[in-house]
Amino acid sequence: MTTLGDYLTVSGILFAIGFSGVLLRRNVIIIFMALELMLNAANLSLVAFSRFRLGDDGLPNYNAQVLVFFIITVAAAEVAVGLAIIVALYRARRTTNVEDINSLKF
Amino acid sequence: MISAPYLEVAVLVLGTVILLIESFSAKLDRRYLGYAALLGLTFIFLATFFVAPQSTTSSAPFWNFYSADATSLFFKRIALATTTGVIVMMLDFAPLVSSGVQGTTPQSGLGEFFALPLFTCAGLMWMSSAIDFVLIFVSLELVTISFYVLVGFTRRNPASLEAAIKYLVLSAVATGFLVYGITWIFGATGETNLQKITTVLSRSGFEQNAALFGGVLVIIALGFKIAAVPFHIWVADVYQGAPTPVTAYLSVGSKAAGFIVLLRVLEPFLILPQMQTLLVAIAVLTLIYGNLAALPQTNVKRLLAYSSIAHAGYLLVAVVSFSGRAVAFYLVAYLLMTLLSFAVLVLVSQPGGDQLESFAGLSQRSPFLAFAMLVAMASLAGVPFTAGFLGKFLVFDAAIATHHFGLVVVAIGTVGAGFYYYFKVVRAIYWDAPASSTDKIIVSPLTRVALIALIAGTFVLGVYPQPIFDALR
Repeated sequence: MTTLGDYLTVSGILFAIGFSGVLLRRNVIIIFMALELMLNAANLSLVAFSRFRLGDDGLPNYNAQVLVFFIITVAAAEVAVGLAIIVALYRARRTTNVEDINSLKF
Repeated sequence: MISAPYLEVAVLVLGTVILLIESFSAKLDRRYLGYAALLGLTFIFLATFFVAPQSTTSSAPFWNFYSADATSLFFKRIALATTTGVIVMMLDFAPLVSSGVQGTTPQSGLGEFFALPLFTCAGLMWMSSAIDFVLIFVSLELVTISFYVLVGFTRRNPASLEAAIKYLVLSAVATGFLVYGITWIFGATGETNLQKITTVLSRSGFEQNAALFGGVLVIIALGFKIAAVPFHIWVADVYQGAPTPVTAYLSVGSKAAGFIVLLRVLEPFLILPQMQTLLVAIAVLTLIYGNLAALPQTNVKRLLAYSSIAHAGYLLVAVVSFSGRAVAFYLVAYLLMTLLSFAVLVLVSQPGGDQLESFAGLSQRSPFLAFAMLVAMASLAGVPFTAGFLGKFLVFDAAIATHHFGLVVVAIGTVGAGFYYYFKVVRAIYWDAPASSTDKIIVSPLTRVALIALIAGTFVLGVYPQPIFDALR
């Protein structure tokens, strides 16, 4: 029997992988994938919390599950705009490496 | 009488209509779309004064997400006023947009440039009404995603693209923290509505640590929006790279909406004393870092970026003292003086660039703009009889009333540093000889009216703040 704790652990690991991916990887597209992982970690634990913590009437609070749908939609919109910006960057600079994007400084 | 949700719908319809006109009329001068947006926003701003008060008996589920109290109406007006000011700036900035976007006609992309701020504005207005984490998240993302496009709008300018990438990645990280934080608050309390969360948190016997963990993650995400240290890394680069009107919009609109959400989200967490300590620490760091890092700047946009961090610090002092009145007044003062300084910057930087040298001898090239910038800088620094001074006064007053004496000492110390870097700009304007060109700068009538309104607002609110307090009641 999978418990709430199991779901939360998996989601915590996903979030940690996502965040460390953002910090450590140098390719903007990989960083973007890692960001999606962070959002999906939150989705997983939202659904788990909603499913395991039932209200007094025995039904889950569906607000959390609705929020998951919103997060999925927003993430798609974010990817659409984000990839467009990355393509524009690649056209202008011929690179997607964040270490080459350093013209704005003190 | 109008129902409050129609205001956002009206803004969205206005934005959509402008986009449609832009795509179906190839020959139209795109600047008319900007004037149409201005006209529409002014009407909607006037309409906010005829909004029917929210009926407390209404039990439709919609009102679990959305509140139309005096505070949210007030912040809706701030959003509308900011957007109006930004579109006036965009009309002045239009020639640079056309050269920054690849296109077949000389005015390619200009129509979208006027339409996108309207969608951002709708997002800001929803944020000011949001009392449920679902609506907070969705409206915050509406604002953020339209800002991604706006920051990178002049995509032939490498600095603008670079700013867009930096904003995109760091802002998406903040979003990740926000949703994960909301998840844990939901897990601990079983609710997404802020009022219900308050009820649960005031009961004993819930998982306090889980709620606290979620609360901290949400504060990290909001700290990013309001540019608080240590979540400020994006600010200077993005402000410098973005088109100047967008920078102004980021620094006023994004911050105002961030603070209203912060006030609403913190309300349930008042019960937990650890939150207070955390906020005091963030406020002290923000005050010191923002003011000290602004000292050596020679690029005016970067200087204003650090100044925006510093002002987030003063606002956080007001938040820590839980004075919604001080936060609201300070935000209005901040709106006036920031829009004023950026509007002057848009005009001055078009021939000369954003460096401090292009301001040298401005008093000879355009005495009016020089005076406008003087007022903006004096108000930002906090010279008496300006709105900026009264804002700081109210903040410190609230902090003393709640016994945050250490915080007040730090804040007053940093005000001194502020005087130095703001008056560096004033010195360049009035004392330095013009560096390169001595041509007169032409100010269009529309911009002149907007600047005079901002200057008048700065002085009037500096001596007579009562209208703001009345609007909040």
